[in-house]
Amino acid sequence: MTARMLPKNRIEEFVGRLLEQAEVVAPRRVEVGDVFYGAVASAEEVAWDYGHAVEPLKRFLLPQRETMLRYSTGDKVRVEAELDEQERVFLGIRCCDVTGIGVLDAMFGGDTPDPYYMSRRERSTVIALTCLQAPDETCFCVCCDAGPFLAKGYDQQWTSLPEGMLVEVGSERGEALVRSNDDLFDEASVDQVAARYRLAREAEQTFGDFKSYIAGAMSKLSMNEVDPKVWEQAALRCMECGGCTYLCPTCSCFTVTDRMEDSSGVRERHWDACLYSCYAREASGHNPRPEREDRLRARFFHKISYQWAQRNGRQACVGCGRCVVGCMAWAHMPAITEGIRRGVMT
Amino acid sequence: MAELATVCPFCGCGCGLYLHVIDDVVVGVSPSRAHPISQGRLCVKGWHAHEMVDNPQRLTHPLVRRGDELVEASWEEAVEVAANGLRKVADSAGAQAIGVLGSARCTNEANYVLVRFARGTLGTPSIDCSQRIHSVPEVALNAGNSRPGLDTGQIADLDESDLILLVGSDPTEEHPAVAARVYRARQRGARVISVSTRTHPLAALADVHLPVRPGGELKLLGSILHVLLVEQGMAGDADVSGLPELRASVADLPPEETQAATSVPAEAVREAALLYASSKRATVVYSTGLALSLHASAAAQSLENLAALGASGAGPKATVLGLLSRNNLQGCRDMGVAPDLLPGYTALGDDAAVEKLERAWRCELNRETGLASWQMMGKARAMYIMGDDITRTMPGAGVAREALASLDFLVVQDIFMSPAAAMADVVLPAAAFAEQDGTWTNLERRVQRIHRAVSPPGEAREDWRIVAGVSGAMGKPISYEDAQQIFEEIKDLLPVYAGVFYPPLAVNGGIRWPTAQPRDAGGAPAAREKIGVAAPPEDALKESAAGAETSDEYPLLMAADPTLRPWDGEVTVCHTLTAAGEFTVMDQDYPDGMLCLNPEDAKRFEVRGGRPARVVSATGEGQMQVRVTDEVPRGIALVPYNQAARSGPMEVSSQPVSGRPVLAPTPISVGPVQ
Repeated sequence: MTARMLPKNRIEEFVGRLLEQAEVVAPRRVEVGDVFYGAVASAEEVAWDYGHAVEPLKRFLLPQRETMLRYSTGDKVRVEAELDEQERVFLGIRCCDVTGIGVLDAMFGGDTPDPYYMSRRERSTVIALTCLQAPDETCFCVCCDAGPFLAKGYDQQWTSLPEGMLVEVGSERGEALVRSNDDLFDEASVDQVAARYRLAREAEQTFGDFKSYIAGAMSKLSMNEVDPKVWEQAALRCMECGGCTYLCPTCSCFTVTDRMEDSSGVRERHWDACLYSCYAREASGHNPRPEREDRLRARFFHKISYQWAQRNGRQACVGCGRCVVGCMAWAHMPAITEGIRRGVMT
Repeated sequence: MAELATVCPFCGCGCGLYLHVIDDVVVGVSPSRAHPISQGRLCVKGWHAHEMVDNPQRLTHPLVRRGDELVEASWEEAVEVAANGLRKVADSAGAQAIGVLGSARCTNEANYVLVRFARGTLGTPSIDCSQRIHSVPEVALNAGNSRPGLDTGQIADLDESDLILLVGSDPTEEHPAVAARVYRARQRGARVISVSTRTHPLAALADVHLPVRPGGELKLLGSILHVLLVEQGMAGDADVSGLPELRASVADLPPEETQAATSVPAEAVREAALLYASSKRATVVYSTGLALSLHASAAAQSLENLAALGASGAGPKATVLGLLSRNNLQGCRDMGVAPDLLPGYTALGDDAAVEKLERAWRCELNRETGLASWQMMGKARAMYIMGDDITRTMPGAGVAREALASLDFLVVQDIFMSPAAAMADVVLPAAAFAEQDGTWTNLERRVQRIHRAVSPPGEAREDWRIVAGVSGAMGKPISYEDAQQIFEEIKDLLPVYAGVFYPPLAVNGGIRWPTAQPRDAGGAPAAREKIGVAAPPEDALKESAAGAETSDEYPLLMAADPTLRPWDGEVTVCHTLTAAGEFTVMDQDYPDGMLCLNPEDAKRFEVRGGRPARVVSATGEGQMQVRVTDEVPRGIALVPYNQAARSGPMEVSSQPVSGRPVLAPTPISVGPVQ
């Protein structure tokens, strides 16, 4: 591990330099106390001690609604792609959310890379902020190998120590950021590095009652051994709001629509959710997943089956706990994996 | 990207959400975690609230009818045409011939200005809101409740309750934020009792579910009261006025006696009653399933009786939570969008209060009782409709359309080309919720701010400004600077809004009126000074016993279920692009009506799911598509209310007391299409 120290009194300067080169997206408190990741204008705006953000970072890589291309027909057909080419630094991001980006990368950066996603992703630097204690009672990243500290997946990982930020470098991009701001960083001492490992162990002790039996559920899902009545019972507990998918750092379902006016139009991409009854419905009216239990099974198969874990490089739950908060009813990841384990939903 | 806090524009829960704005375009929605209702959650509608704002089908320019066509016009021209048209009808047929409809989708400020326009400028007392037909607290109001439009319950009561009684309510469909609380309460051990014909998800998960036969609700609640008052001899410490009469009225209603009318086994009724009695703190939730039943007022009073008994020390402390279907249905009522009231529940005969309004508005008001929305059908000669979905809410096939078609003059202001707007002489484009400032009042009287986050499309304007413009063209200018100025006047003039200030409404969750509602230390409503119960009218009990009898010829009882797919076909959800599929698919798959049958009945009558069936009643016959589901008990056929309201063989009858039109359960026979 390459570790440096960014002393407390230089953080502001460092953020200031980042702001000269890029949009800095960091946790910040809006309106009445909710915390969102969003563009900040200064280090002062960053809510370093923020608990949990209402949403993951997904919106900045895969917007809820984005313009893909504009076109016009007529004598000559013109098509112009609209790519977001803004440089961004994601600063102070929770480890679960950083891990989630890795799953999105597998989805959009695979054999046929998605130019819209990749345009944003290639211009982004990810600086994780470790959790010294569980940010929320609903957090269960400890069940998902996605926090409270990370071993990989970040460009830099910061840990807040009394004297400043301990900075671990995880990529060439992260290293370059240190090099080009060499005057701000000190070498980390052995004690400071040791403190990081002690804090990681202590942080793990602070997690609450929400836990997710991912491994067991993965085995049963992958081998088609889940009792069908679990899905029937889950269907009574899902209200099909789509909140779990929208709040999930790794869910990436979308739909594409065209808005035509006379001879020109705009193609847009919108978030969609596999739980919606019309998501997989075909033009004929046939629906391969007609019942809610069919859609729930499909969603959780996608999230945590071995088949999908192999494609994504990991199972697609990062334990951020947002589905627990956002579920209108009681069909979130911990509830479902417990239901799979017990063979009955409580 | 900026996040702007506002309130969800769909159901009456009033969830807090943020709009994401880039370059004057709303590009997304996030839930608010800090908001007391949403708590970080949104339903499928809320998650897509931004999509109706920037929908290409928004009305952007005023339109004026030229023959069969609506053509673009300037605001000046359209307002002039509207003013002249209304004036002409007033001159020839009298001002009372003009009907005005306000909207539970629009702000308090817009509805308030509309009342001033109707009773002052036009001089007509016929102002209403057709969504009120589905309204709930008014049921209690009509039952003689002394707290006008005021229900002591609040959504947070569900968090404190160890028992939740759901009556005629499927919050998973109608009020998702309430359902979220019920699921969570259940998870921490609260017990749930459900009373509804359909076994909806929360009914299936309930500790006791009473699948009541349509029309049997009042008798069923009577039997519950019989078990409590007669069999258990439940009595509190405090004096309760009316208790002997109530006890006498339910004396003949042991569950065995009502079983035939309710189809609910006596043992289940007893189990429910005892479970209720054994709890400490209960929340009684009711909704359209009860509000649209024939004896809604008496049934709602039965629920109030439970709460009153609790207040006297008999049974659990209970609050009654009547759920309103639309975001600002409560506010609409508060603002006096009703033919029999003025803003702030001011009685028409309260001369001092009416004069106060007249002084503030500098005009004379019509003090008569006007026509309700359903009475306007066929009686009004002209109408001014502000964002009201009358073609959808008015029960009876084609009733609203025929009435609108027969008008001499029709003005509609809306954000989309609604069916009513398509028939109008003048169409005025309004700003959507994300394009105007103002307030909405949720179903628990939480007055909340909505924010102008983006500019309206084209020439669309705020609702109140449009109404004020038309009033000005009729020679009675209504001038306010902005929505805040209107609100300041509202809170100064209306005692019920006293203490609710405009600026602090930016505070998440707004302010509940009345601001000084007493609560005890445990969060329950403080003991009332006088506790009273009321027995249901005798004839109501008798009538519901007769009900609609099935026979060998017509063996199934068909009923309209207002809790089933209540949002399908609604104009705003149909224009939220991503979610639209969810709300249009029923009409695609079941265009003539979704006839929900129990699997055994489907087998018995040889009809198949997804296929059309022949439906025959004593008065007519038709065709509907079948959905086979365990949710419906044997012997019953359920059709979503909003489909049944516009087609189908169900007769329209009227509720006692309120006179509102409801669809009466109808015996039918069902068979395959030959």
